[in-house]
Amino acid sequence: MTAGVAGTVAAPAAVRRRRWRPGAWPYLLPLLVLVGVWVYLPVLGTLVLSVVDWDLTSPTAELVGLDNLRRLLAEPEFGQAALQTLVYAVALLPAATVVPLLLAVLLWLRPGRASTVYRSLLFVPAMVAPVAVAVAWQFLLNPLNGLANEVTGWFGLPRVNWLGDPAWALPVVVVVTSARVVAFNLLLFCAALSGLDRRPVEAARLEGATDVEVVRFVVLPQLRATVVLLGLLSLVLAGQWTFTNVSVLTQGGPDGATDNVYHRIHTLGFVYFETGMASTASVLVLVFFTAAALVAGLVRGRRGER
Amino acid sequence: MRPVTRALTPLAAGLLLLSAAACSTEEAGSAPGSVTITFSSYNYGTQGAAGTGTQALLDRFAELHPEITVEPQAVPVADVLTSARAATAAGEPPDVVQLGYSKLTEGLETLPVQPLDELAGADWEPHVAGILPGPVQTGTRDGHTYALPYTISIPTVLYNADLFERAGLDPDAPPQTMAEIRQAAEAVTATGAEGVYFGVADTAKSDYLTQSVMNSAGGGVLAGDGTVTADSPASVEGLRQVAALTADGLQPAVSVEDALAAFSTGDLGMLVISTAVLGTVQQAAQGSFELRTTGFPAFGDAPPAPTHSGASLVVLSGTEAEQQASWELVRFLTGEEGYRMIATEIGYLPLRSSVVAELGPWLEENPLLVPTIEQLDRMQPYRSFAGSRANQATQLLQDEAVAPIVLRGADPQSTLTATSDRIRELVGTP
Repeated sequence: MTAGVAGTVAAPAAVRRRRWRPGAWPYLLPLLVLVGVWVYLPVLGTLVLSVVDWDLTSPTAELVGLDNLRRLLAEPEFGQAALQTLVYAVALLPAATVVPLLLAVLLWLRPGRASTVYRSLLFVPAMVAPVAVAVAWQFLLNPLNGLANEVTGWFGLPRVNWLGDPAWALPVVVVVTSARVVAFNLLLFCAALSGLDRRPVEAARLEGATDVEVVRFVVLPQLRATVVLLGLLSLVLAGQWTFTNVSVLTQGGPDGATDNVYHRIHTLGFVYFETGMASTASVLVLVFFTAAALVAGLVRGRRGER
Repeated sequence: MRPVTRALTPLAAGLLLLSAAACSTEEAGSAPGSVTITFSSYNYGTQGAAGTGTQALLDRFAELHPEITVEPQAVPVADVLTSARAATAAGEPPDVVQLGYSKLTEGLETLPVQPLDELAGADWEPHVAGILPGPVQTGTRDGHTYALPYTISIPTVLYNADLFERAGLDPDAPPQTMAEIRQAAEAVTATGAEGVYFGVADTAKSDYLTQSVMNSAGGGVLAGDGTVTADSPASVEGLRQVAALTADGLQPAVSVEDALAAFSTGDLGMLVISTAVLGTVQQAAQGSFELRTTGFPAFGDAPPAPTHSGASLVVLSGTEAEQQASWELVRFLTGEEGYRMIATEIGYLPLRSSVVAELGPWLEENPLLVPTIEQLDRMQPYRSFAGSRANQATQLLQDEAVAPIVLRGADPQSTLTATSDRIRELVGTP
């Protein structure tokens, strides 16, 4: 044994090279190339663009250093849009977690044809083209002769300028977006429920547990990971989910009350052609989420969570 | 490597032959359909008279020029410049663009516009001779004309004659001043309908009506030398008068689209807006109420001084064959037949004196355009902010000042002063 080991150690370098095995690299390389080309290369390009003054069509660009950052932080619109992105994230959290979870559990408790039909109907908002939905809402919310004010009028409530009043516009965008988020996350919760370990559920029922007790003490603990995942996704993606509705319904108005950072970046980059400022804003968003992910990782590490 | 080179030689030769064939096809330009150009238009594909009128223009051009294929591209009015710049950045600029006047200055600075006078050659002088000179001048820089007026209108007051009668007003004596507009709005509002709506907070982000209001009040968004004057006392007073209508419940605080919908359904007494919507509103009013028009109102003792809205045509084509085909399209659209069709089928102003004279009998039967034609001699030039950030400055004015003041009760003086200061910093003018 000893001689064999010694012989292996003494093998020439050329032999060692011949015996090198690629391991996982052939499997990883295509993915790494794709991620590099489509994620990290654009990030690098955005970093470069964030320090130049360029309007996307000019043949030349001027190096301006941090001037784009100075201009971006000086404009009140960006700060307002950033703050409202956080408001959207918090406001959409129930629509991403509590509401679809409740609906999914109700459907799970009463399986059968009716449950399947309801599930299909509840999923419809996620299937319809987002722009078409937004345009339909535009008609419904028309302040002078829309259906929404007609209905509130039946109860003696005053007419509301749903999309033109800064106090109402953001909540309306949240509600309109919620329908889609609830529909999509309902499907994910249904999938998670179908994969539940049935044994503890059946054991609890044999012990005489009620539906509420089964859900509270057996089902919800098993869905914890799904709830956390969808909640985190909601916090990260809320700004993107609201983009279409903001773009079609309000264009960020009135008085910037519905704007969010993604719509602001689009406005800066593709309406004003302030490529440098739009890139700087994108870098700030990236830095914010990277920092948030690091902090979250540290907190979880300290708690000993995996 | 040698066998590879040998194998590639026929391939390279084949590619060269294909390229040569492609070039010769492009340059031939005489066979039917041999040149294809794109036309980016915000009227094309829209509901109502603007859409059908544009289609009629393109159909007629196809009859006259079977050798040129025009591929129209429908673009939202607020996105015309954005779309053209993005397409240019992608290396595929549209050949002909219907570019709004509020976006023209930035377009001339940032798009690969071609000098129309050079494309036209000897045709140029006789072609432009009969066109209204002001808008032609707006599209001229450094001795070359890059844009010709295409669809131009002056703001007008559309009013519902039936609602006027119900309110005890005389439809034959429509309001001519802001004071009279106010009185009429009070009477109409008393019937339960909405009174009046000034489309100053334009969702297409154009400031043509803002300029018309400020000009008529003795001020203006910009002075003749390019100085920003949107916060001058006279300019502020103009906007203050419009905002007072909202504050007093005589004007609904809604978007232009909502107001247009309300007027079309007979729920709004007066709508102050571009004649561009005339054809569409006319169709909606048929069988529902009697639609009439009157001129833009005076804001004080001085006569009204509206500016024009609308769009010009610019050519962005890269190759000679496409440039010539694009010029043919521009020549038709801005020629006598084109302007006649634009006026009668869409509702924009006839921009040649010969067409105005020719349309005399038609105008007697269709008098809705007459008040705006009568105000042509008072029409002020459209003034644009300087430089490549002109469009951004216009949007800033509309979003940060005009809409909050007119629709949401913001203080006119302080809001216009703060916004004007931001615009001065943005465009670098006093």
